[in-house]
Amino acid sequence: MGRKKKKQLKPWCWYCNRDFDDEKILIQHQKAKHFKCHICHKKLYTGPGLAIHCMQVHKETIDAVPNAIPGRTDIELEIYGMEGIPEKDMDERRRLLEQKTQESQKKKQQDDSDEYDDDESTASTSFQPQPVQPQQGYIPPMAQPGLPPVPGAPGMPPGIPPLMPGVPPLMPGMPPVMPGMPPGLHHQRKYTQSFCGENIMMPMGGMMPPGPGIPPLMPGMPPGMPPPVPRPGMPPMTQAQAVTAPGILNRPPAPAAAVPTPQPPVTKPLFPSAGQAQAAVQGPVGTDFKPLNSTPATTTEPPKPTFPAYTQSTASTTSTTNSTAAKPAASITSKPATLTTTSATSKLIHPDEDISLEERRAQLPKYQRNLPRPGQAPMGNPPVGPIGGMMPPQPGIPPQQQGMRPPLPPHGQYGGHHQAMPGYLPGAMPPYGQGPPMVPPYQGGPPRPPMGMRPPVMSQGGRY
Amino acid sequence: MSLFGTTSGFGTSGTSMFGSTATDNHNPMKDIEVTSSPDDSIGCLSFSPPTLPGNFLIAGSWANDVRCWEVQDNGQTIPKAQQMHTGPVLDVCWSDDGSKVFTASCDKTAKMWDLNSNQAIQIAQHDAPVKTVHWIKAPNYSCVMTGSWDKTLKFWDTRSPSPMMTLQLPERCYCADVVYPMAAVATAERGLIVYQLENQPSEFRRIESPLKHQHRCVAIFKDKQNKPTGFALGSIEGRVAIHYINPPNPAKDNFTFKCHRSNGTNTSAPQDIYAVNGIAFHPVHGTLATVGSDGRFSFWDKDARTKLKTSEQLDQPISACCFNHNGNIFAYASSYDWSKGHEFYNPQKKNYIFLRNAAEELKPRNKK
Repeated sequence: MGRKKKKQLKPWCWYCNRDFDDEKILIQHQKAKHFKCHICHKKLYTGPGLAIHCMQVHKETIDAVPNAIPGRTDIELEIYGMEGIPEKDMDERRRLLEQKTQESQKKKQQDDSDEYDDDESTASTSFQPQPVQPQQGYIPPMAQPGLPPVPGAPGMPPGIPPLMPGVPPLMPGMPPVMPGMPPGLHHQRKYTQSFCGENIMMPMGGMMPPGPGIPPLMPGMPPGMPPPVPRPGMPPMTQAQAVTAPGILNRPPAPAAAVPTPQPPVTKPLFPSAGQAQAAVQGPVGTDFKPLNSTPATTTEPPKPTFPAYTQSTASTTSTTNSTAAKPAASITSKPATLTTTSATSKLIHPDEDISLEERRAQLPKYQRNLPRPGQAPMGNPPVGPIGGMMPPQPGIPPQQQGMRPPLPPHGQYGGHHQAMPGYLPGAMPPYGQGPPMVPPYQGGPPRPPMGMRPPVMSQGGRY
Repeated sequence: MSLFGTTSGFGTSGTSMFGSTATDNHNPMKDIEVTSSPDDSIGCLSFSPPTLPGNFLIAGSWANDVRCWEVQDNGQTIPKAQQMHTGPVLDVCWSDDGSKVFTASCDKTAKMWDLNSNQAIQIAQHDAPVKTVHWIKAPNYSCVMTGSWDKTLKFWDTRSPSPMMTLQLPERCYCADVVYPMAAVATAERGLIVYQLENQPSEFRRIESPLKHQHRCVAIFKDKQNKPTGFALGSIEGRVAIHYINPPNPAKDNFTFKCHRSNGTNTSAPQDIYAVNGIAFHPVHGTLATVGSDGRFSFWDKDARTKLKTSEQLDQPISACCFNHNGNIFAYASSYDWSKGHEFYNPQKKNYIFLRNAAEELKPRNKK
C-alpha cells in the first residue's frame, strides 16, 4: 500500500475490528453484517440509515448495531467504510497496529519520509483527522450516492439529477443527493485507479454495489467499483453544496457538524431596542423590508425537501412531488383567485378557491344565522351582573355595524348587525349537567337545526 | 408525572360504537376521548396555563359554543362550563393567570369569559369575523390581540370598548401566535408579518413567505434560553416551514419539510396533499406536533430535522391541537375541516377531542 492519505493502512471495520484488504470489501462487509435490517434483510448504508429504515418501514426502533463488539454498537454514529470513525478510535487502532507490527511500520514510515518531510508520522496523524471531520459534515448526503439512477443507468449523464426516481426502497431515510455531486466526483480521488478517465462512470461508481432493487445497474457497472470512491474527495465541494442545498444536509448525527445547532444563543434582544426597534432592525433586512433570509422563498430550488422521506412516501415520490410542487407554486405566486390543485403526480385536497377553509364554511347560510339579540339570552340567569363595566349594555356601542367595509369579495356578508349587542351570554350552562349551576340547555345546543325557530325577535335582521 | 393511568376505560366513554362497529376508525390511536364533545367541528383548543393547578381544556366549535373541561390526572374529563357566541368560534386563549378565557368568533366579536363568575362579556369588535385572539402580557401592559378577516390587528384593553391600537394587515388574518415579546401573523395571499411587543406592539418585519401556498397555521418556538426565536408556518400544501428570525445562516437554518401527504405510492396514483391544520410546540422538549386534513398527527424534531412519529389515520381530518402547560398531554380534535368542500360534510358525524400522553413520544432525537 504505502499511499499517501491512507487511512490507517488496511481498512478495518469499526464495529467489529476486522481487517480488510480493500475499503470496498469493508463496505460490503458492513452492509451485510452491520447495516442489514433484521426484519426484511434490506442492506442499508449506514447505522443511522438502518435505524431510520426500521423506524419508518417496520415501526421498530433499534438501539445497537447488529454484530458489533461491545463498545462499538452506537447506532447513531455515521460510519461508512473508513469514514466517520471517531478520532480516538482511530488512534487506538493505530496504536494497536503499531504494537503488533512495529518493525514493518517503522520501515514503511522511513520509506515514506523520504517522500514527504521528515516528520512523516506527525504529518500523517495531522491530516488524518482532517478528512474525517469534513466528511462527517457531508457524509449524510454522500452516504447515498448509491441511489442509483436506475432508469437509464447506462447512459447516465454525470448530472444525475433524478437520482431518486425509481428507487423506492433503497434509502427511505436519505435526503436526496444533490445533483451537484457528480462534478465533484472527479476530484482528487484516492482510489481513482479504476476510474481514471471514466467520467461518466464516476457518479455511478459512487453507487453502492447494487443493493436490492438495483439489478439493472449491474450490467453497466464494472463489478470492481469501489463504492465509497467519490466521497473523500469531497470536502471542498461539499461546503458549497451545503450552502446551496441546505435543507438536505440533515441526517441527525453527522450534520451536527455541518449544521450549526440552530440558535446559538441569539443575541440578547430578539428585537433590538424596543423603542427604535423598527429602524435598528433593518440592519440585516433590506430597506424594503425584504428579509435577509428570504432564501427559502427565493432560492431556485423548490421547497427544500428536508424530510423527504418523512412523508412516508418513498424518496421517489418525494422528488417527483418536489418538481410538481414547483409548478403550482409558480402559478400561485401570481396570486390568482384559484389554486392549482392537481398535477399528474399530486393533488391538493383543498377547494379550488384560494380562500381559507373557514371563510368558505362561514359563507354558508347555516353559519350565518346568528342569534342577534340577547333578548332571549337571559335564561333567567343572573344575567350580566358584574360585567366589569365593559360595554355599557346596549346601544351605546359604537355602531360598528355597517360601517362595515364591504368585506372581502368572497365573503359576502357576515351577518351584519346583530352586533349591536355585546351579546352577553351570561353564564350559559352546558346541557351536560355536570358542574355548576345548571340552566336548561340554552340554545347552545342546536344552533344548527332549523334556525327558523329561533326566537322571532330577530329584529336586528341579520337573518339570511 | 404519568398523567393517565391506563388508557382503557375512560377512553371510549361508551360512545365509540355507533353505526358501523366493524371498522370504526374514529380513534385508531386508542387515545382518551373527551366526554361531551361539541356538536359541530372543533376549530380551536387551548389548555390552561401553569398558574392554574390541574389541567383545563377549552374548545371552540362551529356550533357557536366554547366548552371547558377539567382533565384529571387519571384521564377523566369533566365538563365544567360553556359559553356561547352568536357565530362559530374560531379561536380561544387563556389569560396568563388562568382566570379568563378569550374567545374569537365569526360574529365579529371577541369575548372575555371570567371563569370564576362564569360570565362572558364582549371585549372586541371587528368588521368581519375574528380569526385569532391572543393574550399579551408585557411587563408594562397587558392586552388582548385580535386578528380578523377585516385585515386589521387590534389590541384591546378589556376595560374599554375602543382598541388601544389598530394595525393594518396586508390581507385577512389567517393565523397568529404570540410568545412575548414576539408575535407572528400570517395572512391571506401568503402574507407574513412579525411584530415585536416590547413597550407597545409594532411591526417588526414583513417576511417573504417561505411557502408557496396559502398559510394556514403558525406557531412560535423558543430557543434554549426560552426566548422566542422563530416560528413554524404551515400551509394547505402539506408543508411546514421552520423560520428563524435572526439566524446565523438563514440559508442553512431555515428549511421546510413536507408532511400530511398520502403515500401516493411509488407508481401511478397521484399523491394526495393535505392541509396542515395546526402546529403546536411541546413546551418542554421544543419538538413540534402537526395535525392535518389527512386525519393524522405527526411529531417532529426540528433541530434534528427528523420525524419522531406519525399516527394512524383517523376517519376525519384533525382540525386542531394543543399541548398542556407541562407537555404531558397532547390534545387533538377530530372533526371535518371543510377540506373537501360542502359535499363531504356530515352533520351527523360525531366530533371528537382526544387526549394523548405526550411525555415520551416527543422527546427529541439525540443529536451527535
